[in-house]
Amino acid sequence: MFLGRVVGSVWSTVKWPEAVGLKLLLVRPYCLADLGAKTGGATGGAAGAQPTDDLVVCADRLDAGPGDDVVVAFGHAARVAMSGALPAGQKPNVPIDAAVVAVVDRVELDGEKL
Amino acid sequence: MMRGTIIGQVWGARHVAGLDGRKLVLVAARDDAGAPTGRVVVAIDTLDASGGEDVTVAFGSGARNVLRAGPDNRDLLCDAAVAALVEGAE
Repeated sequence: MFLGRVVGSVWSTVKWPEAVGLKLLLVRPYCLADLGAKTGGATGGAAGAQPTDDLVVCADRLDAGPGDDVVVAFGHAARVAMSGALPAGQKPNVPIDAAVVAVVDRVELDGEKL
Repeated sequence: MMRGTIIGQVWGARHVAGLDGRKLVLVAARDDAGAPTGRVVVAIDTLDASGGEDVTVAFGSGARNVLRAGPDNRDLLCDAAVAALVEGAE
């Protein structure tokens, strides 16, 4: 999993049937320097903290939006996270490998210990 | 697996059901010289690691095995977990 900020969304009309109804977000992961710029554990718009790495497209069923800080899971864990949105008994066969698993309220850092 | 240092903790009341009751920690990766690489991952912590502690993080099915030994653990929502608290490295 990683911590990142939602910076946008992606949509498409041509996709596998299993992907119909999935909301896709663009998330920018935080690197160590970004977190160091944050102060007091505040998230969601902390001044000066601009995430850097490549953007990740991830499925979302927690209704996260641009500016939100989120935790994103990869791989099988992402499909498990999305499986609650599927009909009962259906296996998590959604064609995704990244999903928002939590919308972050609070981050507490022990930066001085690094 | 990855070697790193716990640099903090993350909370989110809005989360998917599979994360109920899980403690999420921020782990900064270290390279072979022990210097931070800049990469930060979020891992599930069941070992009650505290800030500043050196840990190893397992990914994928290895991470699920930390929470519950397999093979019937594919229902778990876990792609990264603190696997060990590191006491020393050479």
